[in-house]
Amino acid sequence: MASETDTSAGGGEKPPTCLTRRDFLLSGSGAATTIMLASLPGFARAQEPLALRVAAYPRKRLGRISRLQLNQPVEFHYPYEHAHCRSFIVKLGVPAGAGVGPEQDVVAFNALCTHQGGLLSGMYLQEGAFRLAGPCPIHLSTFDLTRHGLIVAGHATQSLPQVLLETDGDAVYATGMMGLVYGFSSNLPRDWKEGG
Amino acid sequence: MTANDQVPLPPSGARVTTTACDYCIVACGYKVFTWPVGTEGGGLASQNALGVDFPAPALSGRWISPSQHTVVRIGGQPHHAVIIADPDATVVNRGGNHSIRGGTLAQKCYREDGPTRDRLKTPLLRVGGKLTPVSWDTALGVMAGVSKHVLHEHGEMAWGMKTYSYQYFENTYAISKLAFESVKTPCYSEHDKPGPGNDTAGMDDAGLITFSASYEDYSLADVIYISGTDPWETKTVLFTEWMMKGGAKLIFAMPRRTTGVAWAERNGGLFLQVKPGTDTLLHLAMTRLILEQGWQDQEFIDRWVANTWEIDTGFGRGVRNTPWQWRTTWGRSGAVSFEDYKKWLLGYKYAELDRAAEISGVSAGAIRRAAELLSKPVSGKRPKASFCFEKGCYWSNNYLNTASLANLGLVCGAGNRPGQVVSRGGGHQRGWASNAAAYPITQSPEKLPGRRRKEIDLDRWVEAGQLRFAYVIGTTWAQAMAASQELAGTFRRLTRGNPHQIASADASAAVEALKRRVDSGGMAIVHQDIYLVDPIGSELADIVLPAAAWGEDDFTRANGERRMRLYSKFYDPPGAAKPDWWIIAQFARRMGFEGYDWEDSNDVFVEGARFSRGGMLNYHPLVAHAKQLGRRPHELLREMGTTGIQLPARLIKGELVGTKRLHDPSNEIGTPEGPTVHSQWLYAFNTHSGKALLHKTPWEIFADFYERITPKGDEVWVSNGRINEIWQSSFDDQRKPYLKRRFPDTFVEIHPQDAKARGIESGDVVEIWSDDVLVQTGGFVGMEGEDLLSFQQLEQKGHIRVGKGSCRAVAVVTDAVRPGGVFTNFLWPGSPVNSLVHRVPDPITSRYRFKLAKGRLRKVGESPYKRSFEAMTFAPRPVMPRAT
Repeated sequence: MASETDTSAGGGEKPPTCLTRRDFLLSGSGAATTIMLASLPGFARAQEPLALRVAAYPRKRLGRISRLQLNQPVEFHYPYEHAHCRSFIVKLGVPAGAGVGPEQDVVAFNALCTHQGGLLSGMYLQEGAFRLAGPCPIHLSTFDLTRHGLIVAGHATQSLPQVLLETDGDAVYATGMMGLVYGFSSNLPRDWKEGG
Repeated sequence: MTANDQVPLPPSGARVTTTACDYCIVACGYKVFTWPVGTEGGGLASQNALGVDFPAPALSGRWISPSQHTVVRIGGQPHHAVIIADPDATVVNRGGNHSIRGGTLAQKCYREDGPTRDRLKTPLLRVGGKLTPVSWDTALGVMAGVSKHVLHEHGEMAWGMKTYSYQYFENTYAISKLAFESVKTPCYSEHDKPGPGNDTAGMDDAGLITFSASYEDYSLADVIYISGTDPWETKTVLFTEWMMKGGAKLIFAMPRRTTGVAWAERNGGLFLQVKPGTDTLLHLAMTRLILEQGWQDQEFIDRWVANTWEIDTGFGRGVRNTPWQWRTTWGRSGAVSFEDYKKWLLGYKYAELDRAAEISGVSAGAIRRAAELLSKPVSGKRPKASFCFEKGCYWSNNYLNTASLANLGLVCGAGNRPGQVVSRGGGHQRGWASNAAAYPITQSPEKLPGRRRKEIDLDRWVEAGQLRFAYVIGTTWAQAMAASQELAGTFRRLTRGNPHQIASADASAAVEALKRRVDSGGMAIVHQDIYLVDPIGSELADIVLPAAAWGEDDFTRANGERRMRLYSKFYDPPGAAKPDWWIIAQFARRMGFEGYDWEDSNDVFVEGARFSRGGMLNYHPLVAHAKQLGRRPHELLREMGTTGIQLPARLIKGELVGTKRLHDPSNEIGTPEGPTVHSQWLYAFNTHSGKALLHKTPWEIFADFYERITPKGDEVWVSNGRINEIWQSSFDDQRKPYLKRRFPDTFVEIHPQDAKARGIESGDVVEIWSDDVLVQTGGFVGMEGEDLLSFQQLEQKGHIRVGKGSCRAVAVVTDAVRPGGVFTNFLWPGSPVNSLVHRVPDPITSRYRFKLAKGRLRKVGESPYKRSFEAMTFAPRPVMPRAT
């Protein structure tokens, strides 16, 4: 089934997905995603086209909420098994934008700095009530993980891409992304719709 | 709207244009890719203009973030535009490094369906109180009609200009031509000060030109003393590309802890958290410690610091007809040799370590450690020390801070060698290379006894009701100046408060109305900008003119290492907007002035070239060289791309070469070739003898004012400055969706102690207010002795009145600031912190002490951001990972 994604990409940018489009469609995540987006402040205007866009992402089971330890990020790859898709899920202990779980404090982000691709793995910081990623080891950009990965100080021209999460009981799934992953021109194969 | 998870790629045939960033002094090189809407490149290197397989690797500089794409019109047709830092850059931002400001340049461009849609597109005339679209002909006709009347009836002292100093060589040359050659008015002032003249006079007096360094120097230094700025915040790529990579130990002297400071402390550097305005005492104490220990660079001093003969007998310090004269005849500051200076310093009570520590708030141990890092030989080898300073230093205690820092630098052997430089970091870029005529200083109303005339204080001139017509270009004027609400009130009274208003769009009727206004003591204002600025454009101006700017015409400008590049036009300006040089020329022609027949910006560039001769931005050799080659100078510069050329340009063996560093003796290369000018400051210091001068900097000169303005009771210091994510008045940032999310409102950093005492939490809206804002009035001419040279004298002679000011901001509670002092953005529209700044300029230099405001704080409510995840963050900025 990998061919479905492979044939759709325009050029070199076609890393294999961890899920196929067929898997994704079968998961039926579109409706749930739309509901969750309604609670995302600031994106209300964009809700409908955004929902359609997000609906095109694979759905990936990341594990169980109850197994996450406070302030201990766990890494995974999303939406592809590609080096740039290195991501982390973390239980912040404080509520966060698009946070899931009983305390709305579980969030996930891509781990590449959106300035020049510096790796933020292991750069998780607690500063009082704040939860940050950074400073990036290359040029010291810092991101606020409670506020959708917004730049706190630095050079990145967009937030740290947030992996949208959903829960099903204790299980947590990655279901989409807000923001372009460093290095890519599109998080999804470019002609996904046409290619399917 | 999309999920912002994709960008179009420029196809391999996309047009590539080079430019430089429009914002901070560093001016990183950029490439603009444009191509018609409807096509896109592919992800293989062969399919896109970036020549890279996507995903683009880390640090490749070839990734396009969603903020770096927009749609513009070229020749009326919609085109994609991708604007990214030049990945092929070999200078400044090597490999495509960039700041968040430059990284979002695409969002600055005019886009009819985007947040920049409110660009000014047509001239406007305020008819019946409402700004009404009119033709260029009508607007310029009214402007010329009232200008002729003012010049004829009230003289050139009643006709003035307030403009940016930096929006490209072509435009500033046109400004100088209009103001100084054609109108011949002394009523001129740049955007950031009350009148022309030296910004860092203490450095100038020492013989140090303040943009002498090259960025490479900061990577060659062993230690860098950084005063009154964090380059990470405001000169980002200078820090991330040159200072960080060079490995120098950094010593920061600032009231506020920033990311650069945190980095410095983690890497063997030092933070001197100085109380606002007291840097002079740090400089004195460090210099004294160095001399006491014998750590000074005596070999350098013997060679490069002027001796008694060179000062008093031979060359002279400049006792006649020099810019130094009126300051150095002031007895108290001149030192006639290194020994004379040393003797003064070692006997001067304010240079004592403990006293300096007490007043500055920096521990004696830290001051001693800083002196050691700067000068103590390690294993017999002197550290290479460099000094980088900016407005926290020179806009708090202008003359004394700059003169004392020059001394410190010189005793450490800095000023003219690789890795050993003394230079401004810079704020905006250097966009003024030549004056068509000299500033008519002999016309200036400012004169102190026994001294040369001073340049005008235009704000005080306006307050005195002397200015009847103001042509304002590209600046907010009111908010940018001290005691800004008081100033805005004066403008309001002189314009909207005057009974004579334009009631009809008929040009001659409008001229008549404005004539009656200026004759009745009122004032007419023309504002020329890219957006309608509040209040100068939206409320005060009678005529508003739409300017075309970055990317909308070919322009030239230099950065903080004097590197000139062509800022290429790549898209259509909005509506009828025109570049400033064009508007000035059209106005000048209607005034009957001659010599404004330029057809394009290259013509202006060429005409201005010969007036740049002798200056640090001398580009005349490039123009002469281009002519020899039969080329248009702009085109020759375009070929130099993002590398450009470091000014002054010179010809050596027929080749056009730049100048890396000023004052450097290795620049001495014999007979000047062709149009090349060998100014002495190329290979020596900028003094009569070519040797640097030391100055005594007695704290007493400043102490009376400092005592008066020091916060008392529940007042706090209110300091202000730039922050990484905001440029100037945020005129672009508030229209860049991502930056507006980061800063939808301005902020004020408050120490937890001060916040707790006032019940303030992060996210609260705070009012900062003062009913004790000092405003100097009158006092244009001194009569005797040292008249008007001290604050006490100004007060005694009745030249100080007390005004009010207030601004509001969203609180960020953080220990980054000192207790008893807050920090906020310096120029937020609608909430000008400068309203709290005393409008009493440094009496020596007429420069405001912008960083030394004071005020009280009170909570007025909660901002919508306090309990939202959507925008703004109150997280601490200076964070570093735990020791690894």
